[in-house]
Amino acid sequence: MNGEGILPQEGAIIILRDIAKSYWRETLEIPVLHGIDLEIPRGGYYALMGPSGSGKTTLLNLIAGIDRPTGGTLQVCGFELNDLDDDELAGWRNQFVGFIFQNYNLVPVLNAFENVELPLLLSGLSRRERREKVEHALELVNLTDRMLNYPRQLSGGQEQRVAVARAIVTDPELLVADEPTGALDSKNAEEVLQLMERLNQDLGKTIVIVTHDPKAAHHARHQIHLEKGLLDKTIEVNR
Amino acid sequence: MKWIAFVLKSMRRSKLRTLLILGTMTFGVLVVALLLSLLTTLDSVANNPNSTNRIVVRHKSGLTQVLPRSYEAYLKQQPEVETVCGLQWFGGFYQDPGNFFANFASDEETLFQVFREEFGASGITEEQLKEYIRDGSGCIVGKALADKFGWKVGDTVPLTGTIFPISPRLTIRVIFRSPKPSDENVLHFHTKLLEEGVPRMKGRVGTYFVRTKSPDDIPRLIERVDRNFANSASETLSETENSFNLSFVKMLGNISVLLQGISLVVLVALIFVAFSTMAMAIRERTTEISVFRALGFTAQRVMGLVILEGLVLTGAGGALGLGLTWLLAAVLRPVMGSIFPFFQDFNVQTGTMLLCMGGALAVGLLSTFMPAYEAVRKPITEGLKTL
Repeated sequence: MNGEGILPQEGAIIILRDIAKSYWRETLEIPVLHGIDLEIPRGGYYALMGPSGSGKTTLLNLIAGIDRPTGGTLQVCGFELNDLDDDELAGWRNQFVGFIFQNYNLVPVLNAFENVELPLLLSGLSRRERREKVEHALELVNLTDRMLNYPRQLSGGQEQRVAVARAIVTDPELLVADEPTGALDSKNAEEVLQLMERLNQDLGKTIVIVTHDPKAAHHARHQIHLEKGLLDKTIEVNR
Repeated sequence: MKWIAFVLKSMRRSKLRTLLILGTMTFGVLVVALLLSLLTTLDSVANNPNSTNRIVVRHKSGLTQVLPRSYEAYLKQQPEVETVCGLQWFGGFYQDPGNFFANFASDEETLFQVFREEFGASGITEEQLKEYIRDGSGCIVGKALADKFGWKVGDTVPLTGTIFPISPRLTIRVIFRSPKPSDENVLHFHTKLLEEGVPRMKGRVGTYFVRTKSPDDIPRLIERVDRNFANSASETLSETENSFNLSFVKMLGNISVLLQGISLVVLVALIFVAFSTMAMAIRERTTEISVFRALGFTAQRVMGLVILEGLVLTGAGGALGLGLTWLLAAVLRPVMGSIFPFFQDFNVQTGTMLLCMGGALAVGLLSTFMPAYEAVRKPITEGLKTL
């Protein structure tokens, strides 16, 4: 990453201009997002909400750089994503984005330590440096004592905390999460949400989550509502 | 943890599947390596570089018929001929019919000249040679044969004839070494001993081994010898020694084509089995592959890891298969060598090992490349489903 395309706006980490996205089913074009304009400031905590099919997951995918828009421009973490080729985009994701998935998506044959270490394998860090970073990440999610456990030996909540540790181990600026509590019971869900809130407040991570759950959305500082591929409203959460 | 460690851990995903594919590769490589080694051994029988300037003259009607001794003088008179040795298959056994090995009544004076490459490594001294030639009941044996029965120079070896009604008691005068193990599993004794014991063999011999001055002379010599004895009471069939040896191999049928065919079928079957297994394994990991790519792994790196896993698995199977082949060859050499002498030279050649390892790695590459390519070609969002 060479830093080209650094944003002129101080503080805005995500800038979307007239973003459109369509999918094709054979010859049929299915528009999902229409002309989305959005700015998310650095250090923000945003929840994308809306009914099924409103385009919230598609919007998250575009912000995270794992999908490309069919129209418009998006600048994330200082980079114009349309200008990056697939390999550059992969490198960008590794450096700037942490992913948290609904089903944790840990590698079953790797223990917690090795799962968290995965994104660092691309970094060129020494074994000792990687170990320090992994231990620090596991410490932040309070799982130091389970680092040698395999996913099958962990509870759902612990698995998701390992996934959070994997997401933050490269110290990315942006964390994206799609229904991070969707597979958890209320107690574990609350723990994970509190953890994400701490990452936002204490470490200054910018967080964008997709959720159907009003409780999860309540942990965010802003809620963005989408309706039929359009931005409906943005609400500041009062706590 | 780095890439190889990751690949090794990844292979533990489904231990049964890993073991099955490892077993398939091991067995496949074992079969192919055995067949190819057999082919190489048979090929060395028919393409012995030591035989290039030797021809065999025998009775046209077959090996059970004998030729007159008078032919020897004619053969020696030919300008292309360096020397001639009469050789008669005796077919005796030592103590027990199960103790079968090659034994010949041969012309003691010319044996060492005609087969100088075979005896070249033996370091036989002039005194030993004289002692053997002097002793009419003396014999020479190869070191491998002597080791097998614990014989040493001076020991008496009673041979029981199966074709001829005599049982000579021979004294070992020379134990020789030879570059090829099969050439060390042989015993020679004096022709005169056979002629004295079997009246019908007086003045007769089964085959003449003729050493020519140059391999270029052979076609001309063969044609002239057979023409000379045409329409006589004992017509001859002359051929190169390699061609003579090949006729024994041919008794097993067109084995070369058969072995090559089986090897090819095994290889194709391996590719299909490995392909379907690896394709299934990779398809099950579509989500995981997408997660890796989301975390920043490029498509090429993910493909490389998946292919590396296939290569490690099939390579390990190949190495195991070759190890087992090597062990099996050591067992087959003495067991099969007592029935088919050429088996004493049976070995897994370096070329065969390289070919089999190359084949195993090619199976790994072919079976993983397409499924891996398909997996990384899929959009990340499609693979993740949930994000």
